[in-house]
Amino acid sequence: MKTDLPPEAYAAALASFPHMSIHRLGALLRHHPPDEAYAIASGEHRPAGLIERVLADPDICAAWRRAGRSSLLDEVWDRCNRLGVRVLLHGATDYPHLLVNDPLPPPVLFAEGDLSLLEGRRAGIVGTRNATAAGRDTATTLGRQLADAGVHVVSGLARGIDGCVHRGALRSDGAGRPIAVVASGHDVIYPREHRVLWASVAECGLLLSECAPGTAPEAYRFPMRNRVIAALSEVVIVVESRQQGGSLITVNEAIERNVPLMAVPGGVHNRAATGTNQLIRDGAGMVVDVTDVLIELAMDHRRSSGATIDSRPRPSGADLTVYETCAGEPRTIDGLALACSLSLVDAAMAVARLERSGWIQQSDGWFEAVGSPLR
Amino acid sequence: MLAAVRSATLLGVEGRPVTVEVHVSTGLPGFQIVGLPDEACRESRDRVRAAVMSSGLPWPSCRMTVNLAPSNQRKGGSGLDLAIAVGLLIANGEVPPDAVADLGFIGELGLDGSLRAVAGVAPMVGALSDLTPVVARASFREARAISPGPVRVAACLREIVDALTGVAPWPDEPDDDYVDDEPPIPDLADVRGQALARRALEVAAAGGHHLLLVGPPGAGKTMLAQRLTGLLPPLTPALALEATMVHSAAGVRLPSVGMIRRAPFRAPHHSSSMVSLVGGGTSSLRPGEISLAHGGVLFLDELGEFSPMVLDGLRQPLEEGVIRVARARASATLPARFLLVAATNPCPCGGGPPGACDCDDGARLRYLRRLSGPLLDRFDLRVGVSRPGVDDLLQSGGGESTAAAADRVSTARSAAVEIRGMLNSEIPASHLDILAPLQPAARLMLRNELERERLTGRGYHRIRRVSRTIADLDGDTSAAVAEQHVALALQLRVRLRVSVREQVA
Repeated sequence: MKTDLPPEAYAAALASFPHMSIHRLGALLRHHPPDEAYAIASGEHRPAGLIERVLADPDICAAWRRAGRSSLLDEVWDRCNRLGVRVLLHGATDYPHLLVNDPLPPPVLFAEGDLSLLEGRRAGIVGTRNATAAGRDTATTLGRQLADAGVHVVSGLARGIDGCVHRGALRSDGAGRPIAVVASGHDVIYPREHRVLWASVAECGLLLSECAPGTAPEAYRFPMRNRVIAALSEVVIVVESRQQGGSLITVNEAIERNVPLMAVPGGVHNRAATGTNQLIRDGAGMVVDVTDVLIELAMDHRRSSGATIDSRPRPSGADLTVYETCAGEPRTIDGLALACSLSLVDAAMAVARLERSGWIQQSDGWFEAVGSPLR
Repeated sequence: MLAAVRSATLLGVEGRPVTVEVHVSTGLPGFQIVGLPDEACRESRDRVRAAVMSSGLPWPSCRMTVNLAPSNQRKGGSGLDLAIAVGLLIANGEVPPDAVADLGFIGELGLDGSLRAVAGVAPMVGALSDLTPVVARASFREARAISPGPVRVAACLREIVDALTGVAPWPDEPDDDYVDDEPPIPDLADVRGQALARRALEVAAAGGHHLLLVGPPGAGKTMLAQRLTGLLPPLTPALALEATMVHSAAGVRLPSVGMIRRAPFRAPHHSSSMVSLVGGGTSSLRPGEISLAHGGVLFLDELGEFSPMVLDGLRQPLEEGVIRVARARASATLPARFLLVAATNPCPCGGGPPGACDCDDGARLRYLRRLSGPLLDRFDLRVGVSRPGVDDLLQSGGGESTAAAADRVSTARSAAVEIRGMLNSEIPASHLDILAPLQPAARLMLRNELERERLTGRGYHRIRRVSRTIADLDGDTSAAVAEQHVALALQLRVRLRVSVREQVA
């Protein structure tokens, strides 16, 4: 056994063992120092207690022995150093105190960025990956305005709402920063199109993961990731979610941890809002704008208020009717022509003007109102 | 004894004259066919023998050699049976050689001596235009539609022999029992709502623009596509002849008039093979679905389910209007100028308004990836179709009828051909500014779309052609294209969200 490696190196290598769940890693590290735990897992020391039962499984035993014999230990530690990823052990002094007393604390946490952000005010924002244009807009605005107010925004860097929240927070000039909890290794960027966003969050904010560098984003890791988001947030806000969305896992974790829950309401016909509307019916706080969140966080909300100037030219005449019809629910051009009693050509002209001035947006032939509503 | 009889075979959609030479000599009794016959053709040996004997004619025990000239060309099918039988009878002295001097024989023989129809009578008769064709009764209409002169028909070999030897006159032509047996084209009036899709059909028909219908299952994509042929004008005589040739060559039933006058509608299933779609396969290079759709509409439902290779095979014919099928022994050029209409769901679950789809991105991407790229670019019109609302379905009066829309289409089509010399979809990009100029406001609108990356360079040219057609349909055939025409054209080119980031503009 090598002696020149710090204990974190052993913990990081253990985290990247095959079949290594949070529970098994926790059992190993709770009772043994990391180097000893590593020796037990790779079969060099006799196991005891709970872990003896895990190692009784021949598959796991063989896989761990193989991993222990390989050069995993050096490789993972090298990667962490190269990427500038810090390894935080449960029980160590630099481990985030927020997670110390969690019902299921991450035994090892990989961090890149500014850990002191966890001392600040934090709001978690989650939602569906398949968001509507309006939902993405809300998420971006909320992320930016919370960051303006100095609140750090916790989310998961996934497609859809998550990505928009981080993007919004990065766009702000305020003190708030993005905090992302991801379900893969720091160097395994998922989804791929968030490459730039991923790097900027690590640089300007904080990027956390329970997975060692090089770990692939397997499906079972996402629910575990959601529990960390819930644990790090003072309030969890759901922007858009279906009846059975992944965001509702975060909601359950938040309920278990007594984290207040809020949701952004959506149209009755909007399937992407059925989950959030249900949450509100069940008693979650309602978020219409950022003030609602700031009140929940008991912060002075006057700073963020004030008249915002909409630079878009105000629609008038037929355009106004068309805009208001779209604002109710997404419409097709047929639907618009019928609802506003316009000819197809007139409706086409109206949406062309509205799209040009940024009031509505088209996707797959459907028109949605975007941006702050017309006042 | 030597005899020569004229007949024809089929290659692609063209008939090729064939001379059947029969030589009868002493020697070991036998019957041999040379001159590159294919399997069906070689088997005619047995059919001819049985047919001749069943007709009560003697079968000599001599050495008989049949040569199909030109002998370097491959001959397929059973259409040479009759010519071989007649040739044998002449060589045996049963029929005088002079009797067949100006006749061409096309038909398959049954073992009982009956005469059967074969596929491709129309092109084969066309290849024997200087002769009087002798065909089966069932092929009469097809032959008469093509042949400039009279057509002889018979029900069996015996009747022909009797006519040739002068024992009996030629049998009467079948009664000209003209019945309009073509199924009626479904009417646009049955379509409820769908104002945009209706307009798209009209534009597609008037300008010859290929159309992609995008929408959830049950939105009526197939229903709409079936109604497009009703909007197309009747085929021109030249086009009708080509279409008839193709249908005959493929053995597809022709209408009772003999000629195809109405634009055909072909809707092959998405499991169709490459060969069934583009043609080829047998040695006679049978025309595929795209050739059968010549002059009409080729409808591909569930476009994403077609194999990518098959769809790629459509690109050349879409561009050139013909398909060149080449095999080691033969090659043929088949006509394939069709209007492509395709339908697809936006994603595996069928989509719907934003937020309704619950496919993950990977599935969505995999679904649309087959479509994106070169083929998707060929569609001038991409129209979103949504399920009609309850009010639309319950509404008692239907929409406008096909006849009214077809009038506008035919006016716009003839205006386009008269003013610009071609359909609007065929205007080359370099001539757009001369043939389809834009008003300043319309130019500004397109500029705006381009600057916001909602339109690609290729899309820009397509929008201009489509807006020209919309203006033609509005009756502004000569003036420059106005803003409202461009606005509608933009709506007829829905942006597909291929993934969260990527849109096909």
